[in-house]
Amino acid sequence: MAEPNANEGLITDKKKRYSAGVLKYRQMGYWDADYVPKDTDVLCLFRITPQEGVDAIEAAAAVAGESSTATWTVVWTDRLTACDSYRAKAYKVEPVPNNPGQYFAWVAYDLVLFEEGSISNMTASLIGNVFSFKPLKAARLEDIRIPVAYVKTFKGPPTGLIVERERLDKFGRPLLGATTKPKLGLSGRNYGRVIYEGLKGGLDFMKDDENINSQPFMHWRDRFLYVMDGVNKASAATGEVKGSYLNVTGATMEDVYERAEFAKELGSVVIMLDLVLGWAAIQSMSNWCRKNDMILHMHRAGHGTYTRQKNHGVSFRVMTKWLRLAGVDHLHTGTAVGKLEGDPMTVQGYYNCCRDSYTRQDLPRGLFFDQDWADLRKVMPVASGGIHAGQMHQLIDLFGDDVVLQFGGGTIGHPAGIQAGAVANRVALECMIKARNEGRDIRNEGPQILRDAARFCTPLKQALDTWGDITFNYASTDTSDYAVTAAPSN
Amino acid sequence: MMTNPTGRVTQGQFSFLPDLTDAEIALQIDYGLSKGYAWSIEYTDDPHPRNTYWEMYGMPMFDLKDAAGVMGELAACRATFPEHYVRLVAFDSTRGIESVAMSFIVNRPKNEPGFGLVRMEARGREMRYTVHSYATDRPENERGGR
Amino acid sequence: MAGPLYSIPGSTPAAPPAAAPESAPPPATAATGVADAPRTVAAVLAQTQAGEVMDELDRDLVGLAPVKARIREIAALLVIDRLRLNLGLSATSPSLHMSFVGNPGTGKTTVALRMATILHRLGYVRKGHLVAVTRDDLVGQYIGHTAPKTREVLKKAMGGVLFIDEAYYLYRPENERDYGQEAIEILLQVMENQRDDLVVILAGYKDRMETFFQSNPGVRSRIAHHVDFPDYEPGELLQIADRMLAEQHYHFGPGARAAFVEYLDRRLRQPQFANARSVRNALERARLRQASRLFNDRERELTAEDLTTISESDIRASRVFGDATATPRK
Repeated sequence: MAEPNANEGLITDKKKRYSAGVLKYRQMGYWDADYVPKDTDVLCLFRITPQEGVDAIEAAAAVAGESSTATWTVVWTDRLTACDSYRAKAYKVEPVPNNPGQYFAWVAYDLVLFEEGSISNMTASLIGNVFSFKPLKAARLEDIRIPVAYVKTFKGPPTGLIVERERLDKFGRPLLGATTKPKLGLSGRNYGRVIYEGLKGGLDFMKDDENINSQPFMHWRDRFLYVMDGVNKASAATGEVKGSYLNVTGATMEDVYERAEFAKELGSVVIMLDLVLGWAAIQSMSNWCRKNDMILHMHRAGHGTYTRQKNHGVSFRVMTKWLRLAGVDHLHTGTAVGKLEGDPMTVQGYYNCCRDSYTRQDLPRGLFFDQDWADLRKVMPVASGGIHAGQMHQLIDLFGDDVVLQFGGGTIGHPAGIQAGAVANRVALECMIKARNEGRDIRNEGPQILRDAARFCTPLKQALDTWGDITFNYASTDTSDYAVTAAPSN
Repeated sequence: MMTNPTGRVTQGQFSFLPDLTDAEIALQIDYGLSKGYAWSIEYTDDPHPRNTYWEMYGMPMFDLKDAAGVMGELAACRATFPEHYVRLVAFDSTRGIESVAMSFIVNRPKNEPGFGLVRMEARGREMRYTVHSYATDRPENERGGR
Repeated sequence: MAGPLYSIPGSTPAAPPAAAPESAPPPATAATGVADAPRTVAAVLAQTQAGEVMDELDRDLVGLAPVKARIREIAALLVIDRLRLNLGLSATSPSLHMSFVGNPGTGKTTVALRMATILHRLGYVRKGHLVAVTRDDLVGQYIGHTAPKTREVLKKAMGGVLFIDEAYYLYRPENERDYGQEAIEILLQVMENQRDDLVVILAGYKDRMETFFQSNPGVRSRIAHHVDFPDYEPGELLQIADRMLAEQHYHFGPGARAAFVEYLDRRLRQPQFANARSVRNALERARLRQASRLFNDRERELTAEDLTTISESDIRASRVFGDATATPRK
């Protein structure tokens, strides 16, 4: 959308610029088509839907303004500051392919606007104000480029993917997990039974669900005690390091610390937090985890309220980047083939943000910027939700080795019991990895490889018979605008 | 016999599958070599899960192009230590990884006594656990293997 | 391990696995098509890359008739083996260990480098890389040093070709504390027992290799192919010179080639002629003279033609033409 005079309206005469009144944002310096982003700038890509009659460039400048220094009228106090450097600059606007009325707007923020090592500050700055802005019908923070200068102020994941593998002594294959089902209602003793059976059967991790904190049917101390009994028994029975994500989410930080300390005393290798705790809690717990050699599992509870709709909210890839900086070791990033939302290419984009040393721009995967992670440790993505052993070849083909595959219903719902469910998943995983290493085409031969393994593994055969035909094929709401066959969005 | 579904120590990438034949092992080695990993052979008589450092059978083998070199060393290791656990470990030196990339067991003793869980009551309902490896009940060199 | 593979208390045990599961896929070699197994030589040639290999060899290397002949024979054996296999007849893998014998500069190292690729494309070696060593890479300085050193080299060469240059240095009978014999013994074992894993090529000058073989008959017996690298004919040397010049974007000017023929004629009568290597050195010196000649004409605008022509005078300036008794540097 090239305008004949892209900087038309910019007022450079200082007397005119700062005399009282209302100016357009683009006149105030929040739009600069000639701006070349610095390596130290934070770059944001917003997907904006301006109200009818609102010019796209003006809307982009307004976004830049309202997420940095502007207000709706001119203020003389601006002159007390070096205001040019504090203004965010919208420098590029393009229409979104196949979506009239929607535009991509690139905005650059100077490094000085941000506090070192603080995600709370970064989010408050970028999304704290602008999303309720009336001239925008809808706005989404689509992607973000954080400069190395800022990345280096964050500690990142306390353990990281590599050290986690070294602690567990498990290499060369995805990790397996399961969420205890039913989500709610089990007593502590019965809960521990599920943990024991799943781990002994061959899973690496078990998991509390996000809403299991401390309720009348099970106090958190009892859960921790029984779970750790199951974990240790399973470890002795198999000779492997086992773990269960103990959910330490609580009402206040004091509660969270108390629960985490107890988990540490009982010897757990991993604890779990819900996203709803908020950024300060997450960063505090990340520091605590590093000091106490604990793996931090992050459940993205609540994200769907603002990540799922393409036109409004914050994209999950931005959340992934923020969470990696804030410092989590595991992050639920989607399954693509399971029961929860996720288009395969977009989900792979999230996985790349977790695991890359240097994420490259990849428009079909929704990655709009190169992101240099400056040797920040890597996050282990977690695929959880409605997946079963019959999909193993798809999961490995899509996501590779560095992922935790969680089969909650797919383990506990096995007709022959939880251990059988775990055996089925583990055998499916191992035979698929073995076949892939041997050079076989698992995308196409996967089902045959599973059937071959099922011949010597009855639990796997039963699993395939029970769930082999289950798929979750609904149209995704959040696909890339640059897919080969671009689908119109809502 | 241990009491998990396989009856064996389940460490490594392929412990839930039937034992790999030499041909299958060579294919895994070739896969690792194609990714640029360096293979190493390790053995132990104590498979405790926290026993990270197994004994090295020779140094890691860098710059190999074919599995035959590793298979030769593996045959020699099995001949020397038939009643030990032997595993193949692959190292990846890529920046950002610089750790182990593959690891699987290629030899086991005929009898795997496994582990016992030792409990010690602590305050309240708390328990302190230790996984005790039956193999360590006897001194090294007297544990059944040579 | 007795009993079913997966025993979960209370559940139906799985049937014990019948033999090892057939999950080991067929080895990935050149020809995998079984449906329409070829019955003619032409069909096999089309399937493997044997034909192209031969053509490339003929094209890229000058002379070397015995070498090319031997490689053609090996290629023919591959093709016939393939046809035998297609009819269900056995075809044991042949021994491919070789010795390359000839004077300096006759192409031994050059061909060895290509041999690894050739054998790989013919389907005889798995990976097709070349490891080139001399005695010092195999033999140690003290007791116990040699065996690990040799084995290390052998492991790196597995799947490809091991090229041992000046192999006779392995054997030093005059020094009783020499560890070369240990290396030879390890080599012999591998050459005998691991023919599928490794091809060994020994190379060196004719008379010394002959002495080496006489003192180590075990080595000679394991070498299936003794290949001679004869000295190049003058016509071949001229061809080589043409190619070397072309590669570097030069060519002979008028009269220069005839002068070079004369040069070769004289030079060959002098001692210590190192075939292709000496040709290369002569051309290097001619380049130097050309450069000096052009350098002295400061104001002339030099065209591409000027810069790429080796003139007759550049050749005739050689000492070989002047002093009949002088021995030029090599």
